[in-house]
Amino acid sequence: MTSTLSDTEQPALSPAFQQVSVGRKVKNGTATVLVWLSFLLAVVPLVWVLYTVIVNGIKVIPYSNWWTQDFGSVLSDEVGGGVLHAIIGTLEQGLVCAIISVPLGLMVAIYLVEYGRGGGFSKVTTFMVDILSGVPSIVAALFIYALWITTFGLPRSGFAVSLALVLLMIPVVVRSAEEMLRIVPDDLREASYALGVPKWKTITKVVLPTALSGIITGIMMALARVMGETAPLLVLVGYSAYVNWNLFNHEQAALPLLMNNERATNTMDPGTVGFDRIWGAALTLVIIIALINLIATGVSRMVAPKKK
Amino acid sequence: MLRQLEDMTVKIMRPIGAVGIVASAALVLAACGSQPGSTNSSTPTSGAATAATGTANVVCGGKTPLSGEGSTAQKTAMDVFAQQYTKACPGQVVNYNATGSGAGVKQFNAKQVDFGGSDSALSGADVDAANARCGGNPAWNLPLVVGPVAIAYKLDGVSSLTLNGEVAAKIFNGQIKTWNDPALTAINPGVNLPSKPIQVFSRSDDSGTTDNFQHYLAASSKGAWTQGTGKAFKGGTGNGAQGSNGVATGIRAADGAIGYVESSYVTNGLTAAKLDSGSGGVELSPANVGKALDAAVFAHPGSNDLAMDLDKIYAANTPGAYPLLLATYEIVCSKGYDADTAKAVKAFLTVSATTAQQPIADKGFVPLPQSLQDKVLTAINAIS
Repeated sequence: MTSTLSDTEQPALSPAFQQVSVGRKVKNGTATVLVWLSFLLAVVPLVWVLYTVIVNGIKVIPYSNWWTQDFGSVLSDEVGGGVLHAIIGTLEQGLVCAIISVPLGLMVAIYLVEYGRGGGFSKVTTFMVDILSGVPSIVAALFIYALWITTFGLPRSGFAVSLALVLLMIPVVVRSAEEMLRIVPDDLREASYALGVPKWKTITKVVLPTALSGIITGIMMALARVMGETAPLLVLVGYSAYVNWNLFNHEQAALPLLMNNERATNTMDPGTVGFDRIWGAALTLVIIIALINLIATGVSRMVAPKKK
Repeated sequence: MLRQLEDMTVKIMRPIGAVGIVASAALVLAACGSQPGSTNSSTPTSGAATAATGTANVVCGGKTPLSGEGSTAQKTAMDVFAQQYTKACPGQVVNYNATGSGAGVKQFNAKQVDFGGSDSALSGADVDAANARCGGNPAWNLPLVVGPVAIAYKLDGVSSLTLNGEVAAKIFNGQIKTWNDPALTAINPGVNLPSKPIQVFSRSDDSGTTDNFQHYLAASSKGAWTQGTGKAFKGGTGNGAQGSNGVATGIRAADGAIGYVESSYVTNGLTAAKLDSGSGGVELSPANVGKALDAAVFAHPGSNDLAMDLDKIYAANTPGAYPLLLATYEIVCSKGYDADTAKAVKAFLTVSATTAQQPIADKGFVPLPQSLQDKVLTAINAIS
């Protein structure tokens, strides 16, 4: 056998799929590396933050007094006490904020998707919601201060904080609920209308249940976000080292406020009481928000439309 | 990617989450019986304490929680006061927010808090606003917490440094820039000062400490401090930091740094400079501050408004006295509280001026000397 091929044995055309060229391989490799690098770059600080919070905060967390006592009976440089007062404040303020903003936000979203449908008024509403979602938390806090405290002459309180948080939470709820309602297929609505079901009943019995799981996730995410807010707390309520269940009167602690207060009082050197308290409170806040996200995932799985 | 991350979070959190559930159970339990209800039990504390603590005649009761806000300088003392108050009057508590003297006066004038805490006495427009807040009655400045201000520095290899008003003023207005400046070496014979640059730290927020410090510089520097006084630092040099703690942290981080903080913040590597008023360097100590305080002159003699004229102390050349001190005041209404609030304010202030004075000595403050304490108690009793 000779190694040379005669003309007739060679294919007339070169094959359509040749080996991948070096240039494309290089491009592919570069792109893969870049994607992975940016992934790592995004994850590293997140993991780092989490690691720092856990390592520094773990010291005080396991003690039962951390969860069942307040700082009222201990001095700022004494070991002991707990953050019950701040947990109560954070949960109360977050809960009241959710009670106000969830119905409001949900109804705005329903209007935008089901009734407004691209009309002039709904465009204005969407625009306003967009603006509201861009308002910095300190501006929301100062607005409530001007309204609630300066104009109405009411005392600083946890409720004023809740009101400021409402301003921050509503746009998030509206946007997420709107997205969820929009992806409900029109077929479902039309099928419902075809059976003679009125529009309001279609919305409450067909559209909302279908979108519910996504809406709940959105609400919980929004709640988790506002519960970590700091600016409204600094402006609208005083810190108290004691448990205060009253949202409408007197000072009330919250976890971010507690951290700020300890920072102003104590030296932040590792090993000091202030250091332990601040990081412990940070970890507590992370745990509470993680729990809320966990509950959100569970609930939205439960109410999700049955597949098959 | 997000989902992955979330799962990761959840995994790390799992063992701790269990604690959280226990905690929320405990939270419910605590709801059923933590805060002692409105007790009116008047527990007169035994006024048997030694030194200048007088007798505490505390009538407990009234508004709880009592709220105060202001000076960060007296926060540590206020914690002790609050603790002693609850001890003397079970069920009665005080919330004190350390947000700075400026904020304290503002919140007091806006009726958001029952008393203000300030490092300097009310002045200017604040006086009128405070009187209006008290329903047209004068507001009083009661000095309850006296603490020395330290000119704290961090300079490797230098464990003792003496300053006088003039040199301090020149450092804080930027005229003296290095540690081995002739003016510094002249008053520190035998100390080997390096040629490092001086880094000045001051308060970036409005602060009574700054006001007192600038008054000291103005009164003692023989004209070297021309920048004036006020709650904002006017030296025009160096770095600003938020709060006393921020200044202390800033100094600690830099070799060759100097700043002014309350003496309780002079810890972990910071040293307080000695002050020379003309009779040699005097160390910062409670006894030396007490000597300076004995010469206290009041701005309104004969009145229950006990604002002190500290300029006289700053400018005096009393041998062995450490002049750079800070009197932090509680700003209260002489009249104009409702009965409940007045009762609680009086009880709290009485405890603070008596039984609580000895414990704050451990925190770097100076207990009120007998003469001053008598005046303060007279004023407290006159509140109605």
